[in-house]
Amino acid sequence: MLPRAEIAHWLFAAGFLFFGLVLLAEAIVGQAVFRSRPWRAYLWPSLALFAGVWLWLIAVFSTFSTLHLVAHSIWAQAATAAGAVELARVRGRLHSQYWSLVTAGALFISGASFLVHEQNGWLFARSAFLHHLVGWTLVVASVFPLGAALRPRRALWSYGFALTFVAVAVMLFSDRDVASIFGHLSELAGGRP
Amino acid sequence: MRRRAVIAAVLLALAVPAAASAHATMKEAHPAEQGEVDAPPTQVTLRFDQSVEAPPDAIVVYAPDGRRLSGPVTQTDRDTVMRAPIRGAVKGQAYTVRWRVVSADGHVGTGVFTFGVGVTPPPPTEAVGASGVTWRDDVARWALFASLALMIGVVGIRLLVLPRVVDPRAERRVHLLGTLGAFLALNTGIAGFVIRSANALQVSGVDLLYADLSPFAESTRFGNAFLVTTFGFGICLTILVLAWVLDAPLLRWPAFLLALVLVWGYPLSGHQGTEPNSTALTEIADWVHLVTAMLWVGGVLTLAVVVWPLAPDLRRGAFLRFSRIAVFLIAALLAAGTFVSIQRLPELSDLWTTSYGKTLLVKIGLVCVALAWGGFHHTFVRPRLERGETPPGVGRSLLGESVVALAVLFAAAVLVNGAPPPVDTGSTSAASTPGR
Repeated sequence: MLPRAEIAHWLFAAGFLFFGLVLLAEAIVGQAVFRSRPWRAYLWPSLALFAGVWLWLIAVFSTFSTLHLVAHSIWAQAATAAGAVELARVRGRLHSQYWSLVTAGALFISGASFLVHEQNGWLFARSAFLHHLVGWTLVVASVFPLGAALRPRRALWSYGFALTFVAVAVMLFSDRDVASIFGHLSELAGGRP
Repeated sequence: MRRRAVIAAVLLALAVPAAASAHATMKEAHPAEQGEVDAPPTQVTLRFDQSVEAPPDAIVVYAPDGRRLSGPVTQTDRDTVMRAPIRGAVKGQAYTVRWRVVSADGHVGTGVFTFGVGVTPPPPTEAVGASGVTWRDDVARWALFASLALMIGVVGIRLLVLPRVVDPRAERRVHLLGTLGAFLALNTGIAGFVIRSANALQVSGVDLLYADLSPFAESTRFGNAFLVTTFGFGICLTILVLAWVLDAPLLRWPAFLLALVLVWGYPLSGHQGTEPNSTALTEIADWVHLVTAMLWVGGVLTLAVVVWPLAPDLRRGAFLRFSRIAVFLIAALLAAGTFVSIQRLPELSDLWTTSYGKTLLVKIGLVCVALAWGGFHHTFVRPRLERGETPPGVGRSLLGESVVALAVLFAAAVLVNGAPPPVDTGSTSAASTPGR
């Protein structure tokens, strides 16, 4: 018996919220203070790697369409790539600021996968609306790691990157497979009374 | 200006799916997918998560001999439920259901499943109309084997043959090849699963993107193996990445051992696991055959692309150590391969009278070439290295042996996908043309 999609989304929302708050804390107090305890630097890259493993588990149970299987495997690989690069930067294995481009690419591809694999319109149901919203949020948010690669000293990128995950967490927490959005629910949506 | 146009085009392309609406997914079927019912059903019912449009062939039920048993489809419950009457189903047989609906977004959703009346139904890959494996399956399987040779072979040889500390450039390349192997194993595994499912679904292109693959994932041995190996290789990929990031080569051990266990999924899901005369011994032999082949190919590749170009001081030691374990690898490889071949082809004449036997002959020929190449290295290169000499052209020769080894893997992929000569067991099948 597989859990409903919304339950998996809520679990990821919890992870994303923690993820975003960690990044937000680092952005507020500054990297030097935040990393005064060295283990804190490993938090978000480790979480991204861990999310990658979990997304593989979700991917193999998303065989109800080829598109879902491929989209989830892309998210898993994007999370693994971003986590690996950021962990390598923390460990000093990678030095160039341009490695942030990998995270930017991972966010963009993840957002694009959200948009492509959601086949219903914005106002079809709440889950469809949120898929579009999360997709576009990630696509637009890829500008933050992109900015960090090109102009690394600006704090805007750190705040934007952190708030992206908090926002995505709120969106995922709002998800319900079949529920209205702004009072609208398509006549075609399944599970209606 | 041009950059702006490109950005606008990308954003527009992403916006297009948002303009679509209402894509349906099948939620429930009666008789159930791969289910067994006691009495012949009088209708097939499919329930979707939203309204669908039913084309004339929305539900077609086939008898094992290909006869069509279903009548015209009717829809109820705001068009979320489709029903097709069945006439002529009898007890003791398995039936194929093919469905095809148009969602409100215009996309065509498709699916296929089987059910049995008083019998266990065959997997959906053996549904009526399934085409069996094609050259695409062979290429996907070969790519998977080559990826495993990179992940298991290169990482395994690094752990078993090379010293604990090696040149950092060589270490980086081992990390790169191992991680690349895991990444490719995941993606070629997904491609192989989708291609195999498409053969049974008989769809391609955009229709394949919206096809229901769950019956294949849940009700076939290769689907079960796909689920376990994909998740497992995802863990292997993460561990290998961590081994690089943390500069902890010993962390490769759990990835290597986990991958060895996961490889067991292929003997269990391939014909070795489904042939009527399969035993635990044939499955173990197939696993040994696969693992020793991966280590052998990976070892030659490691010498050719890691040790020779990047770690000249390790050449002699690595070559001699690999030569020693290669003898055992080849012995185990040949013993396991011979045993499995005898099980699959009990008659010697099967070698030249069946397509499986002919493919096996090609593979044996390629293995002989590879063994001769390895024998040349063992006989002529090894003594010179032992004397402290540096024979020229060994790197290129090792590359040549690697290419032959990859060709052997291709022949192995064709064999694994192919069906050995049938053994009569009297089992029930819904398929008209199973296998290659």
